[in-house]
Amino acid sequence: MVTHPRPRGTRLLVVALVSLSLVIITLDYREGSTGPLAEAGRWTQATMAPLQQAVWTVTRPIGDFFSGLAHLPSLERENADLKTQVANLQADLAGRSNVETQLQTVTDLLGLKQQLFPDGVAAVVIGNGVSNFEWSVTINKGSDDGIEVDQPVVAGAATTPRLVGRVTQVTSNSATVQLLIDQNFAVAGRLSPTRATGLVQGRGEQDPEMDGIPQDTNIDITGDQPVQVFTMSYEINGQHGRYPPGILIGEVSSVIQSTNALETAVTIRPAVDFASLEYVLVLKTAASQEGNGG
Amino acid sequence: MIRRILSLAAVVITALLLQSTVFGQLRLLGVRPELLYLVTISIALLEGPNEGATVGFVSGLAQDFLMNEPKGLTALTLTLLGYGVGMFRQFIVSPSPLVPTIVVGIGTAAGIAFYEIVSVLLGNFHEDTAYGVKVALLTAAYNAVLTPILYPLLRRITEGSRPRRVVRF
Repeated sequence: MVTHPRPRGTRLLVVALVSLSLVIITLDYREGSTGPLAEAGRWTQATMAPLQQAVWTVTRPIGDFFSGLAHLPSLERENADLKTQVANLQADLAGRSNVETQLQTVTDLLGLKQQLFPDGVAAVVIGNGVSNFEWSVTINKGSDDGIEVDQPVVAGAATTPRLVGRVTQVTSNSATVQLLIDQNFAVAGRLSPTRATGLVQGRGEQDPEMDGIPQDTNIDITGDQPVQVFTMSYEINGQHGRYPPGILIGEVSSVIQSTNALETAVTIRPAVDFASLEYVLVLKTAASQEGNGG
Repeated sequence: MIRRILSLAAVVITALLLQSTVFGQLRLLGVRPELLYLVTISIALLEGPNEGATVGFVSGLAQDFLMNEPKGLTALTLTLLGYGVGMFRQFIVSPSPLVPTIVVGIGTAAGIAFYEIVSVLLGNFHEDTAYGVKVALLTAAYNAVLTPILYPLLRRITEGSRPRRVVRF
């Protein structure tokens, strides 16, 4: 390596850039989502969205391949459970091309849209969050299609809509969706057989946790029927929740032994496979337009 | 000069696009590589603290604008990382090809740790300490593995964009 004496200019440059960074952090904290920095963020995302879509289209098969390799240990663990399902599905899938499978997915989504959420906007995932500390995806529809911040996002067919997350940032041609596994995500949930309620919160790579469940609730996860968790409707001071009721969040994967005498908690395996998420539906619900809480 | 700026801008944009698409899928043990850290450290090693700090600031700010996290935090982290690695390179005397790999690994871990600590101070870090340590170490390992592939490419791009000296007799 070559050794160069560094002039004072370098130090001045670094001091200037660090100062500028600190000013940006301060301004961002003061202005929130309404200031020029947030606007610059939306502009950056709008500019990047077409490029992301192009790169995503080309590199998705490569990413899927390596993602499959990366998830090999957990795939092996799930393999035993899936074998029985595969036997049934193989008969259906025989003869179907990849295009037909995609068509089925889109048709399911369309059925979901027409039957339950006629005002929904179908969208394609075109990118992932860039940080290890946030769990989000970018979709190819934005404010031009009527998408607004806080609208719920689902996937799946008409019979089983599954919760994906909520819109947190919108540009004219794209939107950022915070996934339900994100640490900052929370939604009110209801257990399927008991109708006990609680608050579901994302925990990143770990299964989301639902707490605030009454201690005397009977939660049997060893039975034949899985204990499922759905979104629920509620009203506080005349304001409705953000999410329509009856959207599947996931299945209870374990019960957490609580030290609290009044409440218990469970972990939930999300119903959506976020690693292979491709098509979603953004719901233009009245509740979301009011911008209320979870 | 313009060619050099365009080359480095293309590198940053390409890294950002790959990070938000194909590398976004590659969560191994729950963690994925951080390409912009790798690019900043490599440029700082190749070109020095001026370019390291500048590329770090620009790429960090670009990443901040694509995130829902506080803006400016990644820019601050990568600016200091680029400057630090650029200054450190004068102490490197070994010609070993392993040097960039080791520096990228250590630099990435230090950068992620700095980001997490500042996030904690700003009240914006909600993960537990074990997860923070895991992310820092695994990201460092992934970036180190990617370095032998990407570092020569970055060296070729930066050397190719340097202004050529004209010698007159």
